[in-house]
Amino acid sequence: MTAVAAPRPSTRRDLRTLLAENPIIVLTAVLVVLYVATGLKDHSLFTSNGVRSILLLACPLAIFAASQTLCMLTGGIDLSIAMTANLVAYVAANQYSRGTAAILALGLALLVGIAVGIVNGIGIGVFKVNPLIMTLGMASVLLGLVTVWLKTILKGSTNLIPFVKTVGSGTLVGPLPTNIIVWAVVATVLVLGLRSSGIGRMVYAVGDNRIACRLAGVRVWQVLLVVYIVASLLAAVAGLLFSGTTGSVGPDQTNSYLLPSVAAAVIGGTSILGGSGGYSGTIVGALILTVLNRLLLALDTSEAFKQILYGLIVLALAWLYVRLTGHKGTADAR
Amino acid sequence: MTSPTASVHRVATSIPEPTGGLQRFLHRQAWTTGVAVLMVLLVLWRTSQVPHFGDFEIRTITAGAMSLAFLAMAQALVVISGGIDLSVGAMLVFTNCLSALWMDGKGLGECIGIAVAVVAIAIAMSSLIGVIITVSGVPDIIVTLAASFTISGLALVVLKSPGGGASLDFQKLVAGGLNDYWPSLLWTVGTLALVWLPLRRTRLGLAIYAVGSNRGASFLAGVNVARTRVLAYSLGGLFAGLAGIITTAYTGGGEPRASIGANATLNSVAAVVLGGVALTGGVGGLAGPVMAAVCLSLIPAIMLGRGWDPSYAETWRGVIIIAVVLVGGLVQTRRRAT
Repeated sequence: MTAVAAPRPSTRRDLRTLLAENPIIVLTAVLVVLYVATGLKDHSLFTSNGVRSILLLACPLAIFAASQTLCMLTGGIDLSIAMTANLVAYVAANQYSRGTAAILALGLALLVGIAVGIVNGIGIGVFKVNPLIMTLGMASVLLGLVTVWLKTILKGSTNLIPFVKTVGSGTLVGPLPTNIIVWAVVATVLVLGLRSSGIGRMVYAVGDNRIACRLAGVRVWQVLLVVYIVASLLAAVAGLLFSGTTGSVGPDQTNSYLLPSVAAAVIGGTSILGGSGGYSGTIVGALILTVLNRLLLALDTSEAFKQILYGLIVLALAWLYVRLTGHKGTADAR
Repeated sequence: MTSPTASVHRVATSIPEPTGGLQRFLHRQAWTTGVAVLMVLLVLWRTSQVPHFGDFEIRTITAGAMSLAFLAMAQALVVISGGIDLSVGAMLVFTNCLSALWMDGKGLGECIGIAVAVVAIAIAMSSLIGVIITVSGVPDIIVTLAASFTISGLALVVLKSPGGGASLDFQKLVAGGLNDYWPSLLWTVGTLALVWLPLRRTRLGLAIYAVGSNRGASFLAGVNVARTRVLAYSLGGLFAGLAGIITTAYTGGGEPRASIGANATLNSVAAVVLGGVALTGGVGGLAGPVMAAVCLSLIPAIMLGRGWDPSYAETWRGVIIIAVVLVGGLVQTRRRAT
């Protein structure tokens, strides 16, 4: 570190630096405050069942936000994750109720997810289509396909695979729902993988400076391809978990997760311009949004007021984050 | 009987022919021309499907595409200035609900006054969003995303369930009667010709393009970057508010569902990209997005006309957007290489 110390280091500045370098401390503090505030309104939150319900609901959001975090780290975004999740959950349930073995139905469904990721990745990585447009278009394509397929090749009953149902809604021990196992695996792989694997470092590098990466010999298109495949795969997993939790499948059931998944990653400190952030912040971001939803529910206000508050609080948190860390989201020249 | 070297020599020193006006126009407006051709082809396709293609069918196309066309103008202005506004759809729903609530049972004169007031509110709200973006330093995607939640909520406060109305005369003035396509056509073309074309030549119009193509350079050149960005959002609010008023006039009521707004936002982004406005900012105009909006709103009707499941319309919309951007990107790389 720097050898020159300020003449009289004020503790206030030290604290500021500490917070600016570890924004996750502030995020956790916000989470705790929000949790306690919600708990005062809705006492069930302090019971083991209350904790379980928060974790249960936060899990699909956190996994959706994981795919968003990955894409955002490369400077992209994936707006097709919700439609991918819907399609995958539907395929799994439909195949299973037709008599396909559970493991095969699950495999087929995940393959569908991977296929979507490959198309996205090729479009963005090889043909350099803007990620926003590529995944927006993909979401349109999937929406049309799902609507038609419901009447043709995916016609028929939909019974959830029991395994999906167990993982999606069971209880592991005490306040821990079963789906937290999946979340823990995803979190471990992402946090460690992004920090210390080759591809993980390349994800940051590509997001930071694509031209420099290309000049340094990184095959940028391969990195992007992998990122979008993993993102779609994570979306598929989240879709399956969500169907297990709610016990239903539908052509638009996870659409309400799309924008919160972006918000969770941003609140967690991942820059939408790429190159900075990580999954640990996103986890806290997803928890904050879930508790926030619960608070708005406990306040017993109208749907309209809930949406107004939700938007304002997301904005306030993002603003707080920028204020605190001092790194602006945009290269401003004012 | 010239030797090969002589011919090479002559080619190398030849003075470039002055290009004709039409040629220059086609070269500079290549993308817009392409969209115009696509629009004409789609309209012709639609014409061939209907046995008696008359005023009613034309009005269905012009009035049906009108609100998306105005929303595309709103999005295009913000994108040209280097930003993006994911709250335009919510703004459309909000102004739709507010105007439908206030206009219910009023006369033509009052309705026009209300329309002006509602558009003023939309401009004020969008300006506030612009100010928040420039002051806070939070990325525009995030601010407008959060704003879209809040504005959808406000729309629900204004109108709890579908309802409201507007004076019939006002509806005819904006969207035309069932067989009258002139009002919708004139409003759209008139806005492009009388508002946009003069605007892009003003100091503000140039500043919007400059800020969109290079924020740092335009700051160094003395452009007030923050003010220009805010004004781009204000103008976006103007067009989004108009789109809401048009929706009220076209449907004769207000519909507060948030999903309509989200869908409209996505369509506006699609129209902007299809219309030749680069998401990186500084490139494109408003005519392209307007024509792209017509194309996008024609797709479902054409599919229905061919007897295909109209649900495939979504798929085709997605495929067309991706294909156009992909081909456009390839063409631009090719052109830069030569």
